Amino acid sequence: MSEPFGALRDQLLGAAAAFGDGPDAVPEILAGMVEDVDRALREELEIFPVCHHSPASALAMARRLRDKRPKVVYLELCEDLAPLLPELRNCSLPVALQAFATETEGLPAEWAPLSVVAPITEASAEYQAIAYALDTPDVELVLVDRSADHVFQWTPRAPESGTDGAPGADADADADAADADEAALHGDAVGIEIGDLRPRFAELEAHLLHHGKVRHWSEWWDQYVEQPLTGADHATYRQVMVMIGSLFRRLRPARGTAGDRDEDRERYMWTRMREHLAASGADPADCLYVCGAFHAASRVEQFGLHPEPGAEPFEITPRTETEWLYGLIPSSHSAIEAQFGLASGSVSIAAATWEKAVRRGGVTPFRLNGQKGAKGAKGAKSAKPRTTARKAVEDTGGAAEVADRLTGFLSRPPALDELDEAELLGWCVDIVRLARRNGYPASTADAIAVFETSVLLAGMRNRARPTPYDFQDAAVTCIEKDTVPGRRDVRRLCEILLGGDRIGQVGYESLPPLARDVIDRLEPLGLDLGKRTIQRALLDLDARPELVPCSHLLWILRRLLPGGAARPIMGSRRLGERSVQESWDLAIGREQRALVELGYEGVTVEQVLEQRLRRAVADPEGTAATALDAVEDSILYLGGRRFTGELGRRAVELLAAERTVDEAPEVLRRMRRLLTHYRATEPELPEWCAAFVTAGYAHYCTLLPTAFVDEGTGVRQVAAMLGFLFSMESLALSLGCDRAQLEIAVAQSHPEEPAKSALLWAARFQLGALSLADLRERCDGLLANPLVLPAFPRYLNGFVQALEPAPGLTPLVVEVMSKAFGRLPDAVLLPWLPKLITTLRAQAPDLVPPLIREAGRTFPATLAGVDAWDPPWSGRPAPAEAAAPAVNAPVAALLSSHPAACDAVAVLLGHEPVWQAPDALGPAASPAVAALLAAHPATAEALAALP
Amino acid sequence: MTDEMLRAPAEVKYAEELDWLESIDDGPKPFSWRLSPRMVRLFVLGSERSDGLDREVAQKWFGDRSFVERSIVTLASDRGLLLIGDPGTGKSWLAELLSAAISRNSTLVVQGTAGTTEDHVKYSWNVSMVIAQGQSRASMIPSPIMTAMERGVIGRFEELTRSTSDVQDALISILSEKYVSIPELDEDGIVFAQPGFSIIATANSRDRGVNDLSSALKRRFNFVRVPVVTSKRSEAEIVRFRTTELMRRHRIELDLPPTLLDILLQSFADLRAAAASATSDDERLESALSTAEQIGVLEDAVLHSQFFGDRTLRARTLASSLVGSLARRSPEDLAILNKFWHGVVEPRGRKDEDGPWREFLDGGREAIAALS
Repeated sequence: MSEPFGALRDQLLGAAAAFGDGPDAVPEILAGMVEDVDRALREELEIFPVCHHSPASALAMARRLRDKRPKVVYLELCEDLAPLLPELRNCSLPVALQAFATETEGLPAEWAPLSVVAPITEASAEYQAIAYALDTPDVELVLVDRSADHVFQWTPRAPESGTDGAPGADADADADAADADEAALHGDAVGIEIGDLRPRFAELEAHLLHHGKVRHWSEWWDQYVEQPLTGADHATYRQVMVMIGSLFRRLRPARGTAGDRDEDRERYMWTRMREHLAASGADPADCLYVCGAFHAASRVEQFGLHPEPGAEPFEITPRTETEWLYGLIPSSHSAIEAQFGLASGSVSIAAATWEKAVRRGGVTPFRLNGQKGAKGAKGAKSAKPRTTARKAVEDTGGAAEVADRLTGFLSRPPALDELDEAELLGWCVDIVRLARRNGYPASTADAIAVFETSVLLAGMRNRARPTPYDFQDAAVTCIEKDTVPGRRDVRRLCEILLGGDRIGQVGYESLPPLARDVIDRLEPLGLDLGKRTIQRALLDLDARPELVPCSHLLWILRRLLPGGAARPIMGSRRLGERSVQESWDLAIGREQRALVELGYEGVTVEQVLEQRLRRAVADPEGTAATALDAVEDSILYLGGRRFTGELGRRAVELLAAERTVDEAPEVLRRMRRLLTHYRATEPELPEWCAAFVTAGYAHYCTLLPTAFVDEGTGVRQVAAMLGFLFSMESLALSLGCDRAQLEIAVAQSHPEEPAKSALLWAARFQLGALSLADLRERCDGLLANPLVLPAFPRYLNGFVQALEPAPGLTPLVVEVMSKAFGRLPDAVLLPWLPKLITTLRAQAPDLVPPLIREAGRTFPATLAGVDAWDPPWSGRPAPAEAAAPAVNAPVAALLSSHPAACDAVAVLLGHEPVWQAPDALGPAASPAVAALLAAHPATAEALAALP
Repeated sequence: MTDEMLRAPAEVKYAEELDWLESIDDGPKPFSWRLSPRMVRLFVLGSERSDGLDREVAQKWFGDRSFVERSIVTLASDRGLLLIGDPGTGKSWLAELLSAAISRNSTLVVQGTAGTTEDHVKYSWNVSMVIAQGQSRASMIPSPIMTAMERGVIGRFEELTRSTSDVQDALISILSEKYVSIPELDEDGIVFAQPGFSIIATANSRDRGVNDLSSALKRRFNFVRVPVVTSKRSEAEIVRFRTTELMRRHRIELDLPPTLLDILLQSFADLRAAAASATSDDERLESALSTAEQIGVLEDAVLHSQFFGDRTLRARTLASSLVGSLARRSPEDLAILNKFWHGVVEPRGRKDEDGPWREFLDGGREAIAALS
């Protein structure tokens, strides 16, 4: 076989034989790599291997496109994302193409919502291809990779694997993004990247890093591939990239599922390309296939336009029924780094390298017309195809003229990039300036030291030109002292200096209708909502009534969007409240992704909210309480009576169908609020409201006996049921309910638990079946019985809860509680106290005010008062033990003949005016008194003289 | 020569290896350096197969490669090197290795203490000679730093932050003007530094605030922060390396069972985790729990077993020396250790009946009981 790589193969095999210890896999791998390169280059359709975030790839791509001017570009990117590509020109990069599905059909439901993102940066080969294809007439761009749907179809359905780490996706999506705001830009989407090229197992990567004497994979790549390839010609570039792809392909865990999916993707892409060529009749010589170097070194049998004889055609499975929506979301360098596990700052450094290479000239990059965030690069149209003699030589296309460039590349000592003194000086001066601004006492001397140290470090690491990583180390060495004065340390400052994070933005025109609508409607606020900062909006609704719709929209956004997008600082929206002034913190520009994803759900926010509310009440897990919540939201945000009625009717249905009363407290609270609202605003109750009250009355009556005995139902729930029954009784009775139903239900209840017994007594008291005196007697009995004493706190729990359904019982509750505190032994009382406090705290708005009010009435307000205080309930048993009348007969006679004054005094003091029979008042007065009166008769005489 | 010293400095101990490295070194050497920067790195971090050397060079300092690179490069530049870190992180050892590799002399050391004076940094006088002959270069006693200047080699300043500010500031002129003037002498009154002179200082980050460096001095030093080793593998490597060396020094032949080493490393890792989650200093052991501390514990246990035990290292001995070295404050440290022993060691000991953990548990309990 007269092949171009024969010599290289022989040399490598010789080396393997010489250095390898015995027969092992080394010769096979080495020979295989050469074979892979050979195969890829022989392919009739030109394969252009790329690597992500590699400026060298992007440069080679731009050069190749200008030379070859292909008519069709096949790109390794989800085929269903194609319609989004023209929208890129409205955005400032980086942005991510997103495929999104809220509901799954044919995929596990727990995966929903599904989201796939493919970030696009400007310094990437794929952007060059896209820009070239879209802005050059008669060029077709065909995306050939599996669709977003297949990404999930191919995800193994093991229970532990969620959407994250889907092997079908190109990367380990273990985005440890929680710490950084920017890093969370992609949410929990599965990341797709074109040209993923990285060792597939950790040991290989560790080995390469160790022997390359570098710290990150990005640094290794930069030093060993990127820099040597930056100026390389097309043939060298292509061969080297395929070789590296082949290396990582051959050194990977055997037969992993992930590997199989990679091969399936290759089969998929080749099948699609053959289909396209057959359908369009394009000449393969005019086509270019852009894919990751990993896939260029493919060994699947369906590889190539003319697959191996006997290779079975790859059958592409149909998509599931899942409905996919597509859009653009903003992305950022740090989000990309976090999602794909790259070293922090590496994408920024790649972008900086790209810009520098472009500035240096030699190649004019392609750029979409009207691309936002343009930085002085020329449009694609300005670049005329160069028709030079070189083109004819380079434009081989076929296999016949493939020349071996690999041998030269591999045997050449690393071509050292010349020291770019101006660039390094610039960095040194800038970092010192930046450090000063961040509180470091850095000076020109430091700039000199950083320069010197960078050069020395690079020399120590076998480089003539300090890389950004060397520079970073040098800056840390020279400027960082024992403390970091400001918020950022020198390492972070270097990252900022070398490009910083760039955050993309989706242009207005490419936003979904909902997002555009929101921005249009918030126009009167006069804010630039595209900014990524938090902006304060002040709305004086009385002075500027035209802002009322804005305020309304903001409240809806607050309901729909996550936390920070719209945050009210002043003003609130609750039933029965209206703000006169509002102030908002808006971060709509920063939360653009959330807004875009909201746009997948509907055309306006109102529609989305309506759908969400409808979905909430239609949810099989939905309860009456959630339905009432939806009703409240619909009143607050939408205001349509018909829709509210619909939700309300659903609430009635849900209530009637409920078999538990777990949510009774919520139902009671919400229903009370709604009733108050309707009473205040509407002439009559809406129909659903009446239906809810009558249904609730009947429903809770029916469930009451069971709830009293059921161990699973808490005291609070029963109390809420009783609360519903008693507080809405009058309304329910006026709507035709029968009180007998409640009486029977109470009579049927026989609770065993002390707390519920207390509740039942309260209910019976409320119904008039038990008097206050009886109830008090029962309580005293409990306190007097040493056998039930330990259970007394549980009774008390019931009484505390009874405050809600039976407010008339409050004095008794205070009394019983005081007695409990006074009499219960510490061993019983103390363990119960925390529970009382937590109960009161949890239900503070309902329980605490009546208790406090009543306690204030009962207990003395001053310290002095406490000493002399006698509880009102303790004085009662001994009203008859009035002191024996030590009065003389005339006085007694006088008093008994004019009882009105004494009666009034007695009543005033809270005693029954009881008079003893006059004859009982014998002359029992002591002689001393008689003597006293005889000695000073004036008082008695004056009394006698009274009319 | 090595045999006659209790502890040979690095340049003596590795003299043969340094000679060999010097013989094969063809890289560019700054100033009067005996080895090129790459060879210095190789000497400190050890060789690898890919270096293509004829013999293996052992790793002598364990830590991130970039720290060593940054340190070497700093010495080749205009500034002094300040190694800063927690006690026991190997700062002084790194300083010794670097000066041994670069100038074959690591003994020009000034130890910073509260009693260090400017004389220790610059020069002092031999009083009897001054009386006999008057002030001259002959009657002057140069400090180690001045000697290093004269010879163009590396001088070391240990525990820089322990010495007072005026002593520290004596370094400023040495580091910037690179000469020391001797006003007492009429002629020959200035000692100029020869090329190759630099200073490696070490500072303890726990001493921060005692004698803070002035910003003028800070500016003249490059700071390299040496972190506490947290990787268990390299820590095990360090402990084994240093303990073997110490045992050789004491001429002790004793086996270090790997299980015991594991127990020691695991206990330290647990104690560090506990210290990291503690909220006040009272809940934290006073010890920094550094690698050096582990070596100390192990050495103590080894010596104990050698002289008072049956010449085998046992988990019981290890436990008692661990408690003995870490319990510095009573009752705080003892309470922490007691908690650790009951909460962490005990479950392990119960799981590992008849195993070394069990013995470790018992030994520790006894030691705690004896101390409290």
